[in-house]
Formats: sequence, structure tokens, C-alpha cells
Amino acid sequence: MNDKVKIKDLNFYYGTKQALKNINLSVREKEITALIGPSGCGKTTFLRCVNRMHDLYPGNRYEGEIILDGRNILEKGLDLIKLRSKVGMVFQKPTPFPMSIYENVAFGLKLMGIKKKKEISLRVEKALKDSALWDEIKDRLNEPALSLSGGQQQRLCIARAVAVEPEVILMDEPCSALDPVATAKIEDLMTDLKKTYTVVIVTHNMQQAARVSEFTGFFMMGEMIEFDYTQKIFTAPSNKLTEDYITGRFG
Amino acid sequence: MTREAYHKALKEVQDEVQQMAVMVGAAVKDSMEALKSRDMEKSKKIVKNDIQINQKRFDIEERCIRLIATQQPMAVDLRTLAAIINIITDLERIGDHAEGIAKISVAIGDAPLVKPLIDMPKMADKGLSMLQRCMKAFVDRDIETAKKICNEDDEVDALYDAIYNELVMMMVNDPKIIKDATYLIWGAHNLERIADRVTNIAERVVYMVTGKMEEMNVSKY
Repeated sequence: MNDKVKIKDLNFYYGTKQALKNINLSVREKEITALIGPSGCGKTTFLRCVNRMHDLYPGNRYEGEIILDGRNILEKGLDLIKLRSKVGMVFQKPTPFPMSIYENVAFGLKLMGIKKKKEISLRVEKALKDSALWDEIKDRLNEPALSLSGGQQQRLCIARAVAVEPEVILMDEPCSALDPVATAKIEDLMTDLKKTYTVVIVTHNMQQAARVSEFTGFFMMGEMIEFDYTQKIFTAPSNKLTEDYITGRFG
Repeated sequence: MTREAYHKALKEVQDEVQQMAVMVGAAVKDSMEALKSRDMEKSKKIVKNDIQINQKRFDIEERCIRLIATQQPMAVDLRTLAAIINIITDLERIGDHAEGIAKISVAIGDAPLVKPLIDMPKMADKGLSMLQRCMKAFVDRDIETAKKICNEDDEVDALYDAIYNELVMMMVNDPKIIKDATYLIWGAHNLERIADRVTNIAERVVYMVTGKMEEMNVSKY
């Protein structure tokens, strides 16, 4: 098992407010890593560092290193479009664009400069298949994406992320707006996705972290308190704070 | 997100386990006393009352399963419930051993004991002391005591060996006593198994606290 992303002494500041403190963590390739912790603990902030989403707002500042395939992605002058095509992201609420199902998935491909219709069409189909959505929507590709159910919209967003063939997929609470059946479908899908991609998921649902991930990191107040095999974290964590959080003794 | 109702329910299950241990301890003590004093009525009552211990075990197990299903316990809470499900199985079996001793008492009936009971009450006392301290270790999360208790099983095994050898010699010398002497060997064997069961419980206490499953003291039998 290789480390796909290596985080070294990462600090992050929203203006003057420090949101992440000295995070060190290795994300294993083609595995699912879950991040858990109380609201405001920094897990989403951390996730958004990995594809430099914070750069969209002024005043944010990173310190330390995030090494993706040997290269520090925090270095100045990095091509962020390229980075984000390598490190895709799926958000808490499904965010389909107000266009057809087909166009949603094709969007990123066109942005990448792919012009051949045949190629786009093949990659859209593959992405929809990889996202376990194809069978449900193959006859309605030209319908508006917003006509899909919440669970289908979320899988469409995963298809949109997958279409550009990223290496890492970041998922920020991907199931929190979904019902249990749609959640189960996404979880099954994640297990398929990890055959090809490295997945990092932020979740408030500890059972979800326990079900889908191989590794779990527990965050609190901007620090990573514990990182270990998921099985270990949920049966016998080493740190008292982790134990108190996952057993509901605070939080 | 503190989960008060859940933690209250967890505490109640642990209280129930302690109550069950008290019931089981009383059954062991009474079965030994009844055998020694040849109190047939008392022995029959122990046999009859074993059903209450069995029922208690089912009740606690159901509560554990309900908590697992409804509360999705994790970490120390999950280990505690897993430990309890094992502990109550061993407690229930200790109850069966007490019942076994009571049945032997009934089977011996009016016949006099082939020898005065000296080491068997010692085994019972030792087993009971181990059980009581083990249950305290369960409540106190005291792994040092739990580990120590496992080592004490050897003392009970040694007493069993002594009883066994003595009774075998007596049977060799006087085959007429084979039936009643065999009953006593069975009784002693029940007592020996009680101490083994207590070491199982002690191992679960260690698991509950540390998350490590380890065999502390392997019984000779």
C-alpha cells in the first residue's frame, strides 16, 4: 500500500484564525480514509486544503506541505484547474448544474478541452456506469439533472467527478442529505470506487465511517487527535478523547 | 451529543450482571452447604431455582442485543456489551455447576458420605472468593485483580487433584463405595469448572478494559 497523499505539518488559517494545527497524515492509495469529529473540528477545512478550495476566498493561508505523488500541491504557481481534475470533490448537498444529465457529466470533459463528441459520449457513459447510475437514467440523458431524485443527483455529481478521471476523490458528507436507501447505494458505490480511486470522506455518521473506510482520523478543535485502522478506532481507540467522542460522552 | 438515556441503559445492564452474579454465588454456596449437611430439601430447591438464573441470562442478553441494535455502541461500550454477553454465559454455566452439585446431593440420597467433606468446601470457598473479586474487578475496571484471579485457578486445580487421588485410592481399597465416591468426584469436578469459568470472566474483564483478547491461565482439564 502506497501513500497517495502525504500531509506534513499542515497549518491553515482563515485570516488570523487558525483552523488546522500541525496536521500530519498519510492517505493510502486506493483505500477509503474517513475523517470524523465534532462540528467545527476542522475536518471539512482539511478536506478543502487537499484540492486548494480555500484559494477561492481571499485571506486564507496554508503552512506546511501536502504531497500528492511527490509534489507539494501548496506551492505557489500550481495549476489549480489541473489539481482539481486530479483531486475531485463531492459536496454535502448534491450540486448538479442546471443543464441536462448528459451535459453535467460532459461539462468537466469539455473544460479539459476534449472536443471529440464520440470520446465525450464514451466517457460520459463510463462515468455514469462507474457511478452506478447508468441503468436508471440511460433513456433520459437529455432530461434536466434537477429532475433526478436526491440520491441520483448525488451519484450524478460523483459521475461528474469521476468523468475527468481524477486520482483522489474528496467527499464532504456525501450522504447527509440522503435517505438510508440512497445512502446505502452511495456506500456500495464507494467500495467500487476505491478499486480505481483514493477516497477521503468527511462524515458525521460514525457508523458510515465504520462501514466504508479502512482508515479513520479523529479531528477535534483543529487538531488530529488519532489516526488508525478504522477497526481499531471503533473497537479500541488509543486516545481517551476519541473514545469519549465515539461513545457519545461529549460532542 | 452526550447520550444520557443510552449510558443509563448501559449502566443498568451492568447492574443486572452483578445481580446475576449474586444469584449464582448464592447457588454455589447453598449447593455446597446442602451437600455437606445432607439437606435434601435445600438441594432440590437449588435444582428448581436454576431456571431463574437461566432466565436472568436471557433477559440480560436481550437487553444487550437491543442496545446494540438501537444504539450502535462503539469502542469501550461495544467491548462492554460483548464482554457481558460472554460473562453471563459463564455465570449461567456456574449456575449449572451449582445445580449439578445439588443433583449429586439428591442422587446420594440417604447414604452416608464416603468421606467427610474438607477440601470440597475449600474449593467452593475459593471459587466463590474468585467470583466475588472478579465481579468487583468488572465494576472497577480493575485488570490487575482480574489477571491475579486467573492465576488462582491453579490452587483450585490442586485441590481437585488431591480429592480425585484420595477418592480413587478409596475406591481401589473398597469397590463397594465406587458409586458414591464417583458422585463426589463429579461434585469436585463441578467445583473445579466453576473456577475455570471465573477465569473466563476475568479474561473478559481484561478485554473490556484493554480491547485485547488473551488467555490468562489455561486449565489443566
